[in-house]
Amino acid sequence: MYARTGFITAVYKINRSLTRLKPTSISPSTRPLIWKHLYSTAASNSDVNRVHVAVNDDRVSRISSSIRVIQDFPKPGIMFHDITTMLLDPVAFKHTIDLFVERYKEKNISVVAGIEARGFIFGPPIALAIGAKFVPMRKPNKLPGAVISEEYSLEYGTDIMEMHVGAVQAGERALIIDDLIATGGTLAAAIKLLERVGANIVECACAVELRDLKGQDRLGDKPLFVLVSST
Amino acid sequence: MFAEENGLHGDPRIKAISDAIRVVPHFPKQGIMFQDITTLLLDQKAFRYTIDIFVDRYRDKNISVVAGVEARGFIFGPPIALAIGAKFVPLRKPRKLPGEVISEAYVLEYGTDCLEMHVGAVQAGESVLIVDDLVATGGTLSAAIRLLERVGAEVVECACVIGLPLVKGNWRLNGVPLYVLVEPRLDDKDNHEECGL
Repeated sequence: MYARTGFITAVYKINRSLTRLKPTSISPSTRPLIWKHLYSTAASNSDVNRVHVAVNDDRVSRISSSIRVIQDFPKPGIMFHDITTMLLDPVAFKHTIDLFVERYKEKNISVVAGIEARGFIFGPPIALAIGAKFVPMRKPNKLPGAVISEEYSLEYGTDIMEMHVGAVQAGERALIIDDLIATGGTLAAAIKLLERVGANIVECACAVELRDLKGQDRLGDKPLFVLVSST
Repeated sequence: MFAEENGLHGDPRIKAISDAIRVVPHFPKQGIMFQDITTLLLDQKAFRYTIDIFVDRYRDKNISVVAGVEARGFIFGPPIALAIGAKFVPLRKPRKLPGEVISEAYVLEYGTDCLEMHVGAVQAGESVLIVDDLVATGGTLSAAIRLLERVGAEVVECACVIGLPLVKGNWRLNGVPLYVLVEPRLDDKDNHEECGL
């Protein structure tokens, strides 16, 4: 009797969950096992098990509502997710850092790599809290001294990302931070740079994911953690 | 004022911070001894000392805004803002900030540049700390001060990791005090006129 009730409960959860519009906003750990398996096999292209979204608690709620969306910036058709309004809410900003620190503090991460320029806002507080170095990943010709460069594609044309030679040693465990993941191009370039020096990338972390752009597909086998998953 | 002349005389943290900064000669051009703070960021103790010294100085000053100048001000400003419970406001190069902005032009060696801030980020009457990694001519910081004063804010101080007084003994920029942790290093040379600052 108990087993049969359990089965019916599981079926109920499956039916309910298939009608949810935003399944990726539910943390994987709260999904019942059967539903998680069905969802994974039913997923069209991306491996959803590699995208971890923070549980939507009060902190994430506050963070999400503090981010403003600006239409048609930098050009028509783009909905720009502006994190500067979150930085104006000291509680939301602190929650953001706390959520990342809680996730990474006991993972023996020795490098936090932040992507210019908004990754410079989130990376250093995390690095300081978890006892890691902060390594800026920059546009060309900004870093003095010897650098390694990686070219990556934009919608039109290419750009270059640079990292200092000697900043990261082979075997170091690294976290890559940016404010937002869109197409995943910049994160992919950062992954390449760190792998070229033999670092072990533990995860990529962003405050916001624009999930329709499927940026995680460009991250190879590297997992992605985001606080807010948005369309 | 230098931190060492203002309460931190003999503080070993100051030397640790100075030693962690790398000097890159002739970058971005001949004659400039570039003060590279990225090596400071690789030294967790020294980076922590940097933030601690600023936080200790500013935590009880009712500062509600920390404004950081793009891009290296984005590295030092946020940890200070978080620790003292202030907002962080990025001051950016043109066309980076979405939505409505106010702009302030400033003079470079050749030509001009522009600094922008979001409309509505800072209210009249707020107390503001401006942060950047280094003060040289004071051009960018002056533009930052003007932006904040235009919206009616009061700039309490400008804080930089590295710098020199603008003219011998003058530690004010448009009337706003400057607080600096360490002098620029010249490595073997002891001649400030050649440092490009």
